[in-house]
Amino acid sequence: MGMQRNEYTQSQKMMVFILSMSLFGLANLFTELLPEFTIGPVELSISYLAFIPLTLVMLFNPWYAAFGASVGEIIFGDLLLGDFGGLGELEGFIEFTMAMYIAGLLVTNLNSRKQIAIAAIVGVMIDQMLSTVVDVGKVWFGIEELEAVPGLPASILAIEGVSFVTEMVISGVLFGLIPALYLIPKLYGKIEPLLGIEPREGRVKASMTEWVSVRFVIIAVFLMFVAMISEFMATMDINFAVWEPEFLEQFGEGYIWLPISAAAVIFVTVVIAAVKFSKSRNSTKSRKSA
Amino acid sequence: MEFVERFKKSFNIEWVKLELLKTAYGKKETYMGQLDPRVIMIWYLIVSLLPWFTFNFVILIGLAIYTSVLALITRVSPLIIFLLAIGVIGELGYIFLVVFFMGGDFEAYASLITLTLKIIIMSIASIAAFASMDPEKLSDALLSFGVPAQFSFAVSYGYRMLPILMDEYQQIIQSFRLRGKAPEKAGFLKWKLVYYYVVIVIKAFYPMMLNTAKRTRTTVEALEVRGFSYSLHSEEAKKQKLSHLKIKGKEYQFIASSCVILTIIHVAGHLYYI
Amino acid sequence: MKPIIELNDVHFRYPGTKEHVLNGATLSIEQGEFLAVIGGNGSGKTTLCKTFNGLIPNYYTGDFSGSVMVGGADVSQATVSEMSFRVGYVYQDYENQLMRPTVLDDVSFAPLNFGDPDFMEKALWALETLGIEHLKDQSIWQLSGGQKHLAAIAGVLALDPQILIIDEPVAQLDPHHAKEIYKRLKVLQEDYGKTIIVIEHHTEFIADFCTDVLLVDQGQVLWKHPVRQGLLQIDDLLKRDIFPPQVTQAALNCDLALDAHNFPITIEDGQTYFKGLDFMKRERESESHTQEKEAIASLEDLSFSAKTLSNERKTILNKISTSFHSGERIALVGTNGAGKTSLMKCLTGMSKPTSGGGFIGEHSFKKGSLEGLSKEVSYIFQNPEEMFIQDSIKNDLTFFSHSREQDDSSFIEKLIQSFRLEEVLEKDGRLLSGGQQRRASMAIGLATNPTLLMLDEPTASLDVQSRKELIEILQDMDSVATVLVATHDMQLVAEWATRVIVMDQGEVTFDGTPREMFEYGHVWKRAGLVPPQIVQLSIELGMRPAALSVDEFTSRIKEGIPHGVC
Repeated sequence: MGMQRNEYTQSQKMMVFILSMSLFGLANLFTELLPEFTIGPVELSISYLAFIPLTLVMLFNPWYAAFGASVGEIIFGDLLLGDFGGLGELEGFIEFTMAMYIAGLLVTNLNSRKQIAIAAIVGVMIDQMLSTVVDVGKVWFGIEELEAVPGLPASILAIEGVSFVTEMVISGVLFGLIPALYLIPKLYGKIEPLLGIEPREGRVKASMTEWVSVRFVIIAVFLMFVAMISEFMATMDINFAVWEPEFLEQFGEGYIWLPISAAAVIFVTVVIAAVKFSKSRNSTKSRKSA
Repeated sequence: MEFVERFKKSFNIEWVKLELLKTAYGKKETYMGQLDPRVIMIWYLIVSLLPWFTFNFVILIGLAIYTSVLALITRVSPLIIFLLAIGVIGELGYIFLVVFFMGGDFEAYASLITLTLKIIIMSIASIAAFASMDPEKLSDALLSFGVPAQFSFAVSYGYRMLPILMDEYQQIIQSFRLRGKAPEKAGFLKWKLVYYYVVIVIKAFYPMMLNTAKRTRTTVEALEVRGFSYSLHSEEAKKQKLSHLKIKGKEYQFIASSCVILTIIHVAGHLYYI
Repeated sequence: MKPIIELNDVHFRYPGTKEHVLNGATLSIEQGEFLAVIGGNGSGKTTLCKTFNGLIPNYYTGDFSGSVMVGGADVSQATVSEMSFRVGYVYQDYENQLMRPTVLDDVSFAPLNFGDPDFMEKALWALETLGIEHLKDQSIWQLSGGQKHLAAIAGVLALDPQILIIDEPVAQLDPHHAKEIYKRLKVLQEDYGKTIIVIEHHTEFIADFCTDVLLVDQGQVLWKHPVRQGLLQIDDLLKRDIFPPQVTQAALNCDLALDAHNFPITIEDGQTYFKGLDFMKRERESESHTQEKEAIASLEDLSFSAKTLSNERKTILNKISTSFHSGERIALVGTNGAGKTSLMKCLTGMSKPTSGGGFIGEHSFKKGSLEGLSKEVSYIFQNPEEMFIQDSIKNDLTFFSHSREQDDSSFIEKLIQSFRLEEVLEKDGRLLSGGQQRRASMAIGLATNPTLLMLDEPTASLDVQSRKELIEILQDMDSVATVLVATHDMQLVAEWATRVIVMDQGEVTFDGTPREMFEYGHVWKRAGLVPPQIVQLSIELGMRPAALSVDEFTSRIKEGIPHGVC
């Protein structure tokens, strides 16, 4: 068996934590200072260099790497810049740690570029979904009689939708998936010995039960996302199930379906692919052991 | 183009480094900075949660003014104000624009302003509380609230490593540039130049990750030798570490005046409800 | 008296490796010794020292056998934390051992972790003992290398351990600061009765400060002798590429019938030993050939200033005007902070001169871009690891030509051969040994085919053998490019350079040949430099001009028998 996460010694955990914290913290210093680029209503900014935590959660114990990255973000990107958001940081901390942790668990074979790619996208997507849920929740909670204000719920959804898509493209693909695919094969087997840790092996890392729980979490996040959005839409008198013609005519509401359905399609594909992977791997494994 | 200029400026790492070091290591002898960090953190929790329990415009305005005055007293660095301003203005302008497109009316703006005020109060309160707080003090406060010692260690370690990591990253980027070749033509919107830098920024993390890994190993070994893992399980060590935190006259004064001001704001809010 | 450290037949293998690093090490160390641990690369010196404080076998859980007793207690039965009170360990990369923002914080870190109510007193005591209490409120990042090292030592001293282990105390320091560190360590040994153990390969320091020497070879302790006896095991030392102090080498080189049992190891010894010898005068060399060669770069009033934290401008380089000629071997010397690195960074384009400037070829230092200047100038960072930006040496070598879509394969092939990099081509630079890293980094610097090659502290933290190889490489380099080396290594200056530029507080205070520089005592004294031992000895003996190398020294001895012998 490869290195299981519970086989890490206390000091190895600390090393992964410090490594992840330093690197992602450093990256955050720069992204904090980078300018934002606005074309019309679309805002393009590099909100984080996701490839760093993605790479580390896949190469090392996902929990300590994910946790370290989140801590690094808070310390370097916020605290040392004097820009510590207090409670506001907590939500990002939980979302991001969880998302990266799951991304790390998804990968069981570091030689498979497909798996790396899926895990990277799913990781960033979970983070973005959670933050959308929280953002929508804030508006809900923060505005009195939300439904009384025409146009507002739709606007908020549109904004969140656009930001979801741009984040997926910029942070997820350009600064997540692509660099991770470049870095992981180069670092795999090379960086671990520097910390005195055995490289994660190509064979199955997590047991089937663990797999179920990972899938469960992903589905839960997705359902939460869908539930929140549909509840929110209910407040603006849009029936989730009925696709009204005049609804389509309205640019705003129609617009919002774009990212959501895109996300749903991607998500379903990912889950199916992931399940297939685990099955095929398990069957090869059982063949081997037979 | 302004974007490229700023981008280049950001990668004039000397500038960034200086700004950061000023922010992180500048002397902080402000009013809020001198108080016991635990008191400040509790103050922050209260002030940033209060707005979410009301839709009363007067109370919100009062809170915004109160926190702004405190932030002014703590002499926040221009870089932070700049970052905050960009954030808030960007967010606001964006929402206004979309609401306008969606055919919203004044009602929508009014309720949006309430929401924005709440968010602004939260961020100003956090600036007032944390901008002048020594990261060391913050980590002590967290430790005393029961946050794991690893986290509070990480805070001060980050504080210590910041200049080293930046130097190293800068040198690696320079190594790339010293042996690389910038595009001769910048291209439309200077995209070729931007692409060149972005690729370097990403590729530089390959050596950076390996170098940091090497560094980390010594650090963790030294942590062991210097008794850090021992201190994680030692109540005595925690007690000694926090022995310098004390609530004295200044803190009582601050607590009393905060209570009075917050009460006045709430009373005023109910008397002059808009 | 019972020895304070006793090892008996210790074997150790790191987890996941096949070879044993320790192969039956047996030794005993008495309290109050100042012990130098020497040995070739990969002999197991560092691993051996890590058994003294229990990191092995308690932290590194490899295959361990044998017994380690420290202060009468069995180390394998104690925790690493417990051992910290008895043994302090200062790493070679001590910078990573400092983990708190300010000096006092860091020094009080260990006692605080152990919950000592007197942690502040202990920290202050340690700072005072090392004479750095004035630094207590400084940020670590503002300290110089030497100060950081003292702070790291204070950090372990604060627990008041009986034994202090310091891995390569002076590798990164100029000789002046290096001596300071050793003087402080000597105080700890003599006045406070501490046992000091250093891993060291500068035999001059060993001769001046240590009481005993221990030679490690292939995971075993070959012998342990009092310092004089140890340093005179010439054959054993040379076989492992450890060179005795220059005065000893000089005595060895003499064809005179000298007393074989009374070789000198320090300058004082040397003075008595060689007293009364006559030396031949030396013809003035025709060292003014530089003027005839064409100038490749010119600097005109180059100034550089940087903003400080308090928003003031600090002048780092002040109106530097000079020119470099093809084929010159230039050494740039001066203490830390004199402006050497800043000058080199201005020449690469990494920093822009604030005023003035100059040209190399058609490129201006003031206006040229980093990428443009790099066609003419190549800079090799002090830390070779910063040169390795690709995943293999091969890719690093070809990075420059690839990014320019040139085909330099025959040139690269030649570099690979002359730097003997065939075997490491596919490896990542970071995984190589110190000497290999140095060679590879130089080849990478040369792969850009520069007119001016600059090296920052190339000999720092190299073992003697790698250092020797490096100097050989540098000897051949002047046919390829003009070489500018910033260095503290005065032996390198004496034996290699044809021209030396002395910098002090951002200004050039001397520009001439090494011989001239060592001749003018006020020049090097003012700049805080310390000449090599053989130069010092020649000066003390009244030899004019002073000999720059051991070979020169001995070849200039006139017939005669030194007084010290008779």
